[in-house]
Amino acid sequence: MSDTNKQKSGGKKSKVAESFRKKGFQIFGLGAQDFIRFFFGGNASLAIIILILICVFLAREGIMFFPDHHKGLKSYRLAGQELVDYVGEEIDAHTSLYSAANVAYYAEVNRTSQEEDTILRAYRSVLANVENMTKKTWGRLEAWQEEKEDLEDELEDLLEDKEKLTEAAAAPAAAANDANADQAADTNESEDSAAKLAEVNKEIAAVEARMKELDAEIELLSEKLKKEVNVAIASDEAWDLGVGADQPPADSIDEIKEAVLFEAHPDADEEHAFIVEVKERSKEKKAKAAEELTGFKDTVKGIQAAVRPIRSYHSDLKKIAVENKREIEKFSTAPERRKALLEGAENTEDPEDKQEMLDRANAVDITEPEYDKINAPIYERVPEHEKLAADLKAETEKLYAALPEVSELETKSARESFGRAEVYNERFQNRVEENTEKVKEWRHDKNLSIFESATAFIFGKNWITNSSWHDFYGLLPLLSGSLLISIIALVVAVPFAVAAAVYVNQVAPYGEQNFVKPAIEFIEAIPSVVLGFFGILVFGETLRNVSQVEWLSWVPGFPMAERLTILNAGLLLAFMAIPTIFTLAEDALNNVPGALTENSLAMGASKLQTVFRVIVPTALSGIIAAVLLGFGRIVGETMVVLLVAGNKIKIPDFTEGLGVVAQPAHTMTGIIAQELGEVDEGSLHWRALFIVGMVLFCISLAVNFTAQKVLKKFQKI
Amino acid sequence: MSTVMSEQEKETQIPEGTQSSSSSSENQEASNVVIEVDDVNFAYVKGKDVLRNISMEVNRGEVTAFIGPSGCGKSTLLRCFNRMNDLIPTAAITNGEIRILGTDIYDPNVDVIELRKHVGMVFQKYNPFPKSIYENVAYGLRIQGVAKKSVLDDTVEESLRLAGLWEEVKDRLDASGLGLSGGQQQRLCIARTIAVKPKIILMDEPCSALDPISTTTVEELITQLKDDFTIVIVTHNMQQATRVSDRTAFFYLGNLIEMDETTKIFNNPSKKETEDYISGRFG
Repeated sequence: MSDTNKQKSGGKKSKVAESFRKKGFQIFGLGAQDFIRFFFGGNASLAIIILILICVFLAREGIMFFPDHHKGLKSYRLAGQELVDYVGEEIDAHTSLYSAANVAYYAEVNRTSQEEDTILRAYRSVLANVENMTKKTWGRLEAWQEEKEDLEDELEDLLEDKEKLTEAAAAPAAAANDANADQAADTNESEDSAAKLAEVNKEIAAVEARMKELDAEIELLSEKLKKEVNVAIASDEAWDLGVGADQPPADSIDEIKEAVLFEAHPDADEEHAFIVEVKERSKEKKAKAAEELTGFKDTVKGIQAAVRPIRSYHSDLKKIAVENKREIEKFSTAPERRKALLEGAENTEDPEDKQEMLDRANAVDITEPEYDKINAPIYERVPEHEKLAADLKAETEKLYAALPEVSELETKSARESFGRAEVYNERFQNRVEENTEKVKEWRHDKNLSIFESATAFIFGKNWITNSSWHDFYGLLPLLSGSLLISIIALVVAVPFAVAAAVYVNQVAPYGEQNFVKPAIEFIEAIPSVVLGFFGILVFGETLRNVSQVEWLSWVPGFPMAERLTILNAGLLLAFMAIPTIFTLAEDALNNVPGALTENSLAMGASKLQTVFRVIVPTALSGIIAAVLLGFGRIVGETMVVLLVAGNKIKIPDFTEGLGVVAQPAHTMTGIIAQELGEVDEGSLHWRALFIVGMVLFCISLAVNFTAQKVLKKFQKI
Repeated sequence: MSTVMSEQEKETQIPEGTQSSSSSSENQEASNVVIEVDDVNFAYVKGKDVLRNISMEVNRGEVTAFIGPSGCGKSTLLRCFNRMNDLIPTAAITNGEIRILGTDIYDPNVDVIELRKHVGMVFQKYNPFPKSIYENVAYGLRIQGVAKKSVLDDTVEESLRLAGLWEEVKDRLDASGLGLSGGQQQRLCIARTIAVKPKIILMDEPCSALDPISTTTVEELITQLKDDFTIVIVTHNMQQATRVSDRTAFFYLGNLIEMDETTKIFNNPSKKETEDYISGRFG
């Protein structure tokens, strides 16, 4: 309609009556309204264009990853590295088993001397506490002592000077006696040295006086220190052994006290007899326990020794493979090197240099290595593997059976280690069986499909970069970290945020609403880097301390050894997601027609029945959308996870069950932020990071898309 | 249909019997008065009474219509009967008493939830819950803790039959209540209200959002329900008042001008304002 009007007004202006004609500012028949419309329309389309550009850019940088990655994997196979890693996997599986058994052994050995170790630990903490409490006096005392030492040095120097001067004074006197004192100069000199001597004597006296003063001071301070130490040790603060530490036996407390009093003295340089004795006892007991557990020890040692033959086999193969890899790399970079030399020759003026460069260019070997030939030494040794692996398996099986029964173990940590060892043993057995087959069937020239290389990325268990062996780009360590952290964050944030939204929207009185809502929404204003800072310094430390408390030890993952963990990151992210989920969920609840509440109340429902049977179900899709958007926010968050998650690139060890949350992990967002600045543009690593970015983008997109769909469904009601 | 009706009669007679024995004032029962309004003043904001010195009685088994121009207080009075005005923080009765079945409903000891179980309400804008038809009708019973499937099934069918909706929806009880037409949704809301078997049903302009055909259906329904329930209906539509009600109260500017038999009000009103209003001179 408006278009035709415009055309008419443009074409046959004269025929339009004055009162119907368009008024005001116009260019080419376009009025101010149209320009405003174009302006806003242009802004909107700009946003869309930028979005498209981002997608295109990501795809352009990332998509080349797959062919490059495929090439890398192919050379990995051609060089025989794949086979070597099959063997390596067996060894790794065996090592896990061995170290679990070893940990159990040492836990058992140390068990007998637990009492002594506790005493020693308590002694050390109390000593540190007392020294810390009397720090000020210690500092002053030390300063005095230093000064005294300096003065002693000075005194020594002065005494030396004095001696020299006295000698000098004596010598001219002797000479003067000989020469009958005929020279005035001599007299002058001796007078001079006499004056100096007097000066030195004065200085010595001053230093000595000062030293006396100092001695008095030091004595006073020592007295003071003694008193302070006595006060300190009587206070509870000194006996604060840290969260979760065992208390020493009651009868040893007096002796610990005495030892501390003895040690917390400026002149003490030997350990108190009691401590020496306890140390001795601990050592003896350990030795005795070790003697009793010789069988155990030998078994563990045997397990360690069993792997040796295959280990040397592995390292032999590895040498060959490294050589092969070098050959292949040389071949793959040859054309480039040649090209660079030719270009260099072209640009050089000096004919001699030019000739040399051309020669070198021609000398570059661009023939493809004969893969059959370079792999021949590997194939030669493949048959050995079956026997080695079978031996290792049989030996380990035998030794594993020879390990003590779990019921024979006396410490909890040893039993736990054995639990892990059982899992590891099973894994090891399976791994050897599987890999024996793999090694047998391995062919360097077996075709590698692009699909296989894509799965190697998506389901790859390693992300290893800048390695001299081979770079692996596997998504799983990053994906599992991201997902675990997100799930923890969601599990914590959703109940809090939704409950808060229900409360604020439905239950809270007006004044409280006006306070709680902005307060929760304010959390969103905290910069994530600040939150990460808080996570490292305050929250992580507190969490770890709390995890040491004894009666909390049933919580999976407690006590935690690390400060930067999945749990820590997850909880902080939950905190960040709460305002997002809260705000959107509250909106959803707000959108429930008030008439529904009225209807429900008029039916004789109570307020709570109305909330839970009518309002929340009606707003449910909105709440779900809120949760999904919160999830999107969590998955995309970078700073907090980079700072707090611990950044260990490894798939978390799920054998610990829920305790897995106490481990550090790395995330997809974190790895991009951390590594992108350091890699060569256009390298495989660079492209891999882009692909990780794309995966992240797809996850966010999918989550947002689902959220929109759910929201739409909600709006229909 | 007739068998269901007789069942319904039985159902309603039982509570009446128990109620009369437990009722505090026997003479109220005898005189058949269900709602008694005694010199009531009401204010939404303190000091500004919107109802002034209202006194009236509503009889059992009758349809009582409240008419009057907009803002005259008829809906406000209706919402006093089940204390829906409690939702507005400052609203309160400032004078007088409202007694339902002989009890002062603004007594501090009255549980408003129990009151609303006895005094149901149908609103102007039909608002089924976003649940299935079945769940909508069963809602009232479910919040009272009834979980037995057979009881729920029976009540749902009975109520839908009484609301004249059973034949239309019996094949799609699990479909959303929001998928019905406007008239059906309003009848669903009525079915939902009568499922808990209240003694009194308050209707706040139940047909104002409906088309003429649906309006007719609902009006017929009201006439049928009269046998089992005491109904108070607020309406803007004077013809509707003449069609459905036995007695009519005319409100003007917060005052009850006149209340009498519907035929008398419309044919021979005793007050001049009433005559002016029904003859269309204002309002």
